[in-house]
Amino acid sequence: MKKTPNPVSILQGTLDLMILRTLVSLGPNHAYAIATRLEQVSDELLKVNQGTLYPALVRLEQNGWIKGTWGRTDSNREAKYYAITKAGLKALEEETHRWRQMAGVMDRLLAEEP
Amino acid sequence: MMRRFLVRTTAKIINLWRSQRAEMEMDREITAHVEFLEDEYERRGMPQEEARAAARRALGGTEQARQLHRDARTILWLDDLLRDIQFGIRMMLRNLSHSTVAVLTLAIGIGACATAFTWINGILIQPLSGVADPMRLVTLESLTPNGAMVPNSYPDFRDFREHLRTVDVAVFRPSAFSVGPEGHGERIWGEMVSGNYFAVLGVQPEVGRIFQSTEVPDAPGMSPVAILSDRYWRSHFGADPSIVGKTIRINEHELTIVGVTSPQFHGSIPAMAFDIWVPYMEQSALNGVPLWMLRDRHNRNMLGIARIKPGVTFEQARQEVKALAERMAVANADVSEGMSATLLPLWKSPHGPQGLLVGPLRIVMGVSVLLLAIVCANVANLLLARATMREPEFAARLALGASRLRLARQVLTETLLLTFAGAGLGLAATPWLSHALQLLLPPGNVRQLVSMDTRPNLAVLSFTAGAAILAALIAGLTPALRVGRLNLTSRLNAIGRNDQAGRSRIGSAFVACEVALALVTLVGAGLFLRGFRQTLNINPGFDPNHVLVNQFYLSTNSYTLEQRKEFCRRLDERMMSAPGVTEVAYSDGTPLAFEPSWWEELEIEGYTRHANENMNVYRNVISLGYLPLMHIPIIEGRNFTEQDNEKSDDAVMIVNQAFVRRYFPGRDPIGKKVHGWGRWFHVVGVAADSKYHYLSEPETPYFYVPFRQIYREDMNLAFYVRTGGAPESILSTLRMQTREIDPNVTVFDAAPLIESIGASLYPQKVAASLMSVLSALALLLAAVGLYSVMAYWVAQRTQEIGVRIALGAAPAHVLGMVVRQGLAVTSLGLVAGLGLAWMLARSVASVSFTNSAMGSSASLMGDSSTDPLVYVAAAVFLYVIAAIAAFLPARRAAAIEPMRALRAE
Repeated sequence: MKKTPNPVSILQGTLDLMILRTLVSLGPNHAYAIATRLEQVSDELLKVNQGTLYPALVRLEQNGWIKGTWGRTDSNREAKYYAITKAGLKALEEETHRWRQMAGVMDRLLAEEP
Repeated sequence: MMRRFLVRTTAKIINLWRSQRAEMEMDREITAHVEFLEDEYERRGMPQEEARAAARRALGGTEQARQLHRDARTILWLDDLLRDIQFGIRMMLRNLSHSTVAVLTLAIGIGACATAFTWINGILIQPLSGVADPMRLVTLESLTPNGAMVPNSYPDFRDFREHLRTVDVAVFRPSAFSVGPEGHGERIWGEMVSGNYFAVLGVQPEVGRIFQSTEVPDAPGMSPVAILSDRYWRSHFGADPSIVGKTIRINEHELTIVGVTSPQFHGSIPAMAFDIWVPYMEQSALNGVPLWMLRDRHNRNMLGIARIKPGVTFEQARQEVKALAERMAVANADVSEGMSATLLPLWKSPHGPQGLLVGPLRIVMGVSVLLLAIVCANVANLLLARATMREPEFAARLALGASRLRLARQVLTETLLLTFAGAGLGLAATPWLSHALQLLLPPGNVRQLVSMDTRPNLAVLSFTAGAAILAALIAGLTPALRVGRLNLTSRLNAIGRNDQAGRSRIGSAFVACEVALALVTLVGAGLFLRGFRQTLNINPGFDPNHVLVNQFYLSTNSYTLEQRKEFCRRLDERMMSAPGVTEVAYSDGTPLAFEPSWWEELEIEGYTRHANENMNVYRNVISLGYLPLMHIPIIEGRNFTEQDNEKSDDAVMIVNQAFVRRYFPGRDPIGKKVHGWGRWFHVVGVAADSKYHYLSEPETPYFYVPFRQIYREDMNLAFYVRTGGAPESILSTLRMQTREIDPNVTVFDAAPLIESIGASLYPQKVAASLMSVLSALALLLAAVGLYSVMAYWVAQRTQEIGVRIALGAAPAHVLGMVVRQGLAVTSLGLVAGLGLAWMLARSVASVSFTNSAMGSSASLMGDSSTDPLVYVAAAVFLYVIAAIAAFLPARRAAAIEPMRALRAE
């Protein structure tokens, strides 16, 4: 296992958005693939703890934003494939918008010279 | 946001129930994840075994992952609660004997409370069922100038109906009917009602329709229609829906059935069930009541019920009724001078069985609550003992990081389990116990009529749940608090050995409470019993033994007044010549019976009425044989004779001694003139005082008038036969002689006079016997409580007592020590209990009952509320019981073998 120099912890409330977004780009996929994808995208900066990922998936499923079905991988492993739902797409749109606003505020705030 | 919360919560709750499946799903997912990691590590070149180990490490401990997963999946506290309940049930089963005792005592306490509440709910809170919005229904009563409540006349009703804006008024009157063809008549009870009766009550028909105001006018004989109860329709017509439009033979008249009421509707008197409703204006056809009486404003025999219109308060409605009635009293000053009217909550209506039941029911409810309190104290003690035994368990859990709140919550959950199990058991018994209400009523007509919805309804269920939660809080709070305060270090250091001072102090306090409460119930029972005995010893002033009495309802046979008198005369004649009969009499009213007693407003020669003085004097309309049959001596003057009949110009009356003392003080009453029923009477005799309504009543002015001169269509007919032997022995003779005069007249409810007299004693008898049962229970529970505390105390001090004995303490000394300890606790409870009982007795002493609208009321307890003997006897008795309860463990203590006790260390 490679050590990452400075792993950042996932910002509170952003994991849902990340999962939803990942599912849109990857299409229906299983938890492990989601975690791997997040690590790749972040250049190994993000370390997705399984203890956080699974509860998040449960939460999203309870919200009705994603839907899990059992399937088989290429390597013939059994895995639960999560797909984004219509409600999930709508939520993603809202969450994305909110995040952009938030990020904009942060940018402006940090851009000010002290 | 809210919606999202709801969606998730629902999913979580569903997950709670699908917990098994969800757990499996999670296992599969975690397994899958580990496998992915394994694949990954193997791809990177790790050996298979190593890859598996690394994968598990990377997942960060599967169990921890599982827990996080679980937390996300379910609502934590609810999950905990279910876990607590599961654990609680396991604990209950492990301590089966303990739990059984707790659940059974709780079932007694909660069952008693639920039963009392079912009664109170059915009679006081929701007196009428099957009507719309019962909370807006009230009783309308006319008030005499001195404030006595009386029913209403039909003309008064018409004025109320036309002019009142804030309420809709209807009137009704219970009545017996004979149903069916001649000779095979069956007696049923129904109500004669005004045309708007069903509309005002808001009753729905099961089939057909209810009376329309237009089809039931105020004119007599225009509406030969009837409505049946659902009960009667099912039992007699097999619930045949085509019944509507058919005729039914009532009192030998054909009435058309227009509808059947909804199954919930039983009529308009609380706790009573009627089977037929007939327009009041059919009275003249059905009961032979002359038309002028229906139009007579003085003829006040209609019970009023009113619906307060929406948006109007009770007080506004009452004011309007009062104002209108006072205007009516001025307009009809000849008959209504000084009269008024008022509204009352239904349960305060002086008519019907609730007058009899309200007082006893309140007391029963109070005592049930006391009993529940004793039960709670007992269960608290049991739980405290168990909590003490489980202290090592709790200490270990605290040490492992459980929060105190969590432990306290678990103790409370377990207590709740116990109380709800008890409540369930108690509730299951409630329908049976509720039927015991019948026993609260005197035998005869009223009992047959009583209906009680004993199915637990929402009100009863929520009351019981409330009682169970309250009981759990009372019984479980102390143990829970103790667990919360558990001192961890000292407890862990001293597992198994502990000083029990704290726990035994609390236990003693509970026992003292139990003793106090038991004393209250015991004193209550004693006072009621003593009051009852005192009343029983009162001489009624007449001889009820060896007398059979039967009520005839000749109006149901379409008899005219003349025919009725003729019937009485002939039956009198025939019975007199029958073997075994010594005396025969008949009258309108029966003394001391559960029947309304009637009065007449008198004007008395030579007596000046005070302003607002009530000149209504109770009376009876009697045959010649009545006073001799009752063995009521005539002190002065003469009895009625054959000459005092309809043809005589001279109306006569006999007054009692109290009448003379009140209205003719120092004067000779014989020959004095008294005015009533629109004519003048001569007093011809003075009869000895006797009891008329209640054995415990104060002296009551009373008078008698001759049957043949005053008997009217709307009066009752009681027929008395005195024999040398048992009164029942003459019943077949009475039946036969009646049948020979008219085969259509049946002897329905003949009973010994001594029994119908029992009616006036019933509330007292019931209060006394219920109190005895409940106080016996309370006593038993208190004794068990004391015994268990003392036994526990002895068990805890086994070592100490062993040392004492080893050092030479005599067994008698040890015995004394333990018993003294028990009696000290008892004494504390007794002192508190005596004070409490004294206070309660004073308030209970004012609770009274009434057996009719016309009679005054009598005190339920008699005058014994301060009888010191009862208090002393109860205290001594309880002391003895306590001594026994303490003696048993004390004997065990004295028999402790010092060596074994010390070795047990």
